[in-house]
Amino acid sequence: MHLVKTERLQQADEVEPAPSSAWLTGAAAWFVPGLGHLLLKRWWRALLMGGAVWACFFVGMAMGGHLFDLYAEGSSTLLQVPPMIANLGTGILYMVSWVFDYGFKDDPAQAARATYEYGNTFLLIAGLLNYLNMLDAFDIAAGRKP
Amino acid sequence: MTLFAGLASVVFGAMAKDTTRDRVLYGLKVFAEFMLIGLVLGWILYFIP
Repeated sequence: MHLVKTERLQQADEVEPAPSSAWLTGAAAWFVPGLGHLLLKRWWRALLMGGAVWACFFVGMAMGGHLFDLYAEGSSTLLQVPPMIANLGTGILYMVSWVFDYGFKDDPAQAARATYEYGNTFLLIAGLLNYLNMLDAFDIAAGRKP
Repeated sequence: MTLFAGLASVVFGAMAKDTTRDRVLYGLKVFAEFMLIGLVLGWILYFIP
């Protein structure tokens, strides 16, 4: 038992720290969905994984989905945090929408649309999928994944 | 639901496994699971008022 623990500690010590380029690639992958894999010249991954995020986001917007921030009216700010973190995963897509105030308004007519909740789900999933993309790009850049 | 399952399974499939064949098979498996679970849950919720 003690030997196993010692081996694990040694293995943990032997893990090389990720190079700064891996952190930059991860940041790029978060900021623009697909860019991380493009920088790594993983064209197909960039197209499929990045494309899935872009498609999810625009489908969600087309369905009338709602983006979350901390300034929603009539509801607890704390409850806005988890979906906001998910939405933030889309990086520049979220930021551009925030700058132009598109998709953030609490509009009853929008909420009444049959596709409103579907749209919300697509927008949340777009961000969460992009977090996966970001981790994948980071792992590849750090040499932890082929 | 199909679109959602398709997009999510593309990402899951592309991330996982080592060979292209394994990735495709895993993506198809995840897609089938999404669809099956979605339909089962849909029917269960249909009977719950």
